[in-house]
Amino acid sequence: MTENVQIANQNFVLHPSGAALWKEKSTLLIADVHLGKIAHFRKNGLAVPPHIADTNFERLNTVISQLQPKSIYFLGDLFHSYLNAEWFVFEEWVQQTPCDMILVQGNHDIIADHKFEALGIPVKEELEEGPFCFTHHPEDIESAFNICGHIHPAVRMRGGGGQAATLSCFFISENQLILPAFGIFTGKHRLTPTKEDRVYAIVENEVVCVSNTR
Amino acid sequence: MNQTELIQWAEGWFQQQEWQAFPFQKKTWKAFLQGKHGLLNAPTGSGKTYALWVPIVLNYIKKNPEYATKKPKGLKAIWITPLRALSVEIKQAAQRFADEMGTGLTVGIRTGDTSQAERAKQKRQMPDLLITTPESLMLLLASKGYDKMFKTLTAVVVDEWHELLGSKRGVQMELALSRLKTISTDLRIWGISATIGNLEEAQQVLFGMDDPIQKQSVLIRARHKKKVRVHSMIPKEMETFPWRGHIGLHLLEDLVKIIEKSKTTIIFTNTRGQCEIWFQKLLEKHPELAGEIAMHHGSISKETRLWVEQAIRNESLKAVVATSSLDLGVDFAPVETIVQIGGPKGIAKFLQRAGRSNHRPGETSVIHFLPTHALELVEASALKRAVKENVMEARTPFLLSFDVLIQYLVTLAVSDGFIPDEIFKEVKNTFCYQGITEEQWQWCLNFITLGSQSLKAYDEYKRVEVKAGLFKVESRRIAMMHRLSIGTIVSDAMMMVKYVTGGFIGTIEEWFIGKMKPGDSFVFAGRTLELVRLRQMVAQVRRSSKRTSKVVSFMGGRLPLSSQMSKILREELQNEVEALRTRELKAMDPIFERQQWESVVPRAHEFLIETFATREGYHALFYPFEGRKVHEAMSNLLAYRMSLLSPISFSLAYNDYGFELLSDQEIDIQSLLDNDLLTTQDALSDLAKGVNSSELARRKFRDVAVISGLVFQGYPNKIIKTKHLQSNSQLLFDVFRDYEPDNLLYQQAYTEMYEHELEVGRLQKVLERIATQDILWKQCDKPTPFSFPIITDRLRSKLTSEKLSDRIKKMKLQFDK
Repeated sequence: MTENVQIANQNFVLHPSGAALWKEKSTLLIADVHLGKIAHFRKNGLAVPPHIADTNFERLNTVISQLQPKSIYFLGDLFHSYLNAEWFVFEEWVQQTPCDMILVQGNHDIIADHKFEALGIPVKEELEEGPFCFTHHPEDIESAFNICGHIHPAVRMRGGGGQAATLSCFFISENQLILPAFGIFTGKHRLTPTKEDRVYAIVENEVVCVSNTR
Repeated sequence: MNQTELIQWAEGWFQQQEWQAFPFQKKTWKAFLQGKHGLLNAPTGSGKTYALWVPIVLNYIKKNPEYATKKPKGLKAIWITPLRALSVEIKQAAQRFADEMGTGLTVGIRTGDTSQAERAKQKRQMPDLLITTPESLMLLLASKGYDKMFKTLTAVVVDEWHELLGSKRGVQMELALSRLKTISTDLRIWGISATIGNLEEAQQVLFGMDDPIQKQSVLIRARHKKKVRVHSMIPKEMETFPWRGHIGLHLLEDLVKIIEKSKTTIIFTNTRGQCEIWFQKLLEKHPELAGEIAMHHGSISKETRLWVEQAIRNESLKAVVATSSLDLGVDFAPVETIVQIGGPKGIAKFLQRAGRSNHRPGETSVIHFLPTHALELVEASALKRAVKENVMEARTPFLLSFDVLIQYLVTLAVSDGFIPDEIFKEVKNTFCYQGITEEQWQWCLNFITLGSQSLKAYDEYKRVEVKAGLFKVESRRIAMMHRLSIGTIVSDAMMMVKYVTGGFIGTIEEWFIGKMKPGDSFVFAGRTLELVRLRQMVAQVRRSSKRTSKVVSFMGGRLPLSSQMSKILREELQNEVEALRTRELKAMDPIFERQQWESVVPRAHEFLIETFATREGYHALFYPFEGRKVHEAMSNLLAYRMSLLSPISFSLAYNDYGFELLSDQEIDIQSLLDNDLLTTQDALSDLAKGVNSSELARRKFRDVAVISGLVFQGYPNKIIKTKHLQSNSQLLFDVFRDYEPDNLLYQQAYTEMYEHELEVGRLQKVLERIATQDILWKQCDKPTPFSFPIITDRLRSKLTSEKLSDRIKKMKLQFDK
């Protein structure tokens, strides 16, 4: 159900939750969880079902137990908005999770850095490690391979007889990997790949390479 | 003065104007003065305004004999109109009578177009008659102390009730009336409706389930019979006339001839996009018409619309290309000729449009019908018969619309707050909510106070708060968000289009602009414009001299054929076979010959199925001739049943004549017949499984989510901070489907889909009819004339029994071109 890919001579496992494991470093990469989004909506009178908020934590726990990472890098938009009640759930979750965590800040991350730091999560604008530069927004970087989120990438598939589907995906271009959004209740944005791009779509509980298989 | 004297007095005024009061007007006056409620069935332009405004004034005089010296303050009557454009006309007529009778009564308008200053003035002192829309009335119910404002009310008149009836605006009206009945103690409720198939029901919906009101009410019919003549424009060369399409430009020159011959022509189109294209093309081919023709549709700025309406009255225009924005009300005496482009799909709509010409009673209205593709000529032929035989459609009222109820409850909570027991009695008395259970009511209360049905730790949900039994909105921010969201017409996010130098042109849907880059040009409001930049919700443009084929398009706007129309349509097709043929049908000979050659023209006792393959895949076409909605249901039903036989994926298309199943695998019609998949047995439960999570339910849910306040849209001209609150109903739909399928609002999307979109009641009848017919299965070599408009339709839904991963394996990634 997962797919293995090589990027810059390093090995990655792409997980159908939208997370990717950097094997050499045992680091899990997760983008756009948007925790607290449901609570934020509800605080403003929009009645999204409250219990689905737990699903994000269940999904986090599942991917961690399956891939057993040492550390987790959140590539931005970990929290959707201002501080709300879901923060307490997050605090508890961090304490129970035996991984080092780093947050690369995204445009939605407006909660003060010290709140994260108090939980032992350093907050960075960007992070360079090995051949990679981790950011939230896709960046055009010459010296390093960029791994990022923000876009919530998806691609359109077409088949005979008028068949079509739009699928969330890992989008790998020459010098960049864009991760799909991890969070539930987040949208997706359609990208049109070129022949050179590698696209790994999430098809239910499976990651499937849909670009030219090489 | 007693009643007879009052009526004589009013008649005297009529005589001064050299008019004579019609019997229906006098009947209405009398009934009103006797304290009755009623529904007046009268067409536009028949003097219906005076039928009800006169007795309101007379009643006022009766109650206030010293009216000339002592005028009591406060609102006396509310006049509800579905279209803002109509309010000016009504105001002029009402004011004239009030002034000339020396009453000193004032008339005011309050709609979305009313300025802030004017609104504030009205709040301080209401005019005696307020002309408003259902939405603006709701907004008044959302203001503090509304009960005092409405206390003095003696009458509510709901104009064009037939327009509101079959929509959620009608439900909104029902709820508003249920409140007014309690707070205005001396209230008469009157509706005005054009002729529809279910007038008695319309009356019941308006008055609600109150026995006393029902008993005290009357139905008054104006006996105006309008003569309508339908003239179809038949292409000279039928062979080259297209089989599909919805624009009809082939007949442009014929249309120009009609324009030239007549003083003023209104050209009705079915969509705003069609309207834009025709206007553009007319000017392109006939530049001499510049300045003599104009365009009118709902997305053009109000100033331009008002200017066009005035220009029609002044006779300074040769022609106006319009949409349904000109259907109603406004009296245009100078209009000589009406042209309808494309099938109007309903008889009532067609007649209403026909009635826009020669507004003098007794004169014959002529309407020219311009077909956009060949098969539409059958429709023209069918329309002619419908008009002759006086067939009328019914408007189905909504039942148990929880979204509108939730919006209404929050509205009351925003103003003075409400006590549930009091409001429940009123709500239960409406037609829409007569069947609401205590559990459902409690569900709605929980929804607005808890945001769910059970409490959850850490939850900070905040909308309506309960204090000592009073349900009230305390947060100013939530109150403001709610006021901005009041209404039941849900449209795509709209963007204002403005010149860089300022100057508002109109509004267009965001998705259209979203596809464009600065520098791209497009045609809108009859002008070629270049997009300069997007700034917040404003698209800034400048005039462009580039030629472009990109015409602004709008979502929606496809109207299905009504069941009455489709029956006549089927009969008309039979006329083809039995040689009882109209001019239109004769003109279609080449098409029928071709159809007969490639396949067959089915007779009354035959049901046609065609199969053929093209580059797109394998096509199976079915022709029940029952209208788009029923075909959508049937295609889902059949696709579902076939998908049970073996894993297969279908893409479905439908129009008013038939529907198509398209697949990448060969479609096994023989096993469809052998397994009796057209049976009526379990049709409804099979359909329910087939449309589970279909596009249609999603579309319905979108409206429900916006109306009930699950999604906040904001407004294009009132930009408020909605940062971090944007979501879309699609995401919510998935969340409810997966996690909360018993949510009443989610379920409502399905109910609405069945009752208002798929018309399942009709589905059963169609299947029964097919069961008595002989099935003709034609394996064709290529697309037939009947199939052509369907297979080229790009608006499709999907149904599959294959696993997603299996389907994906057969698909290809869409690359950059």
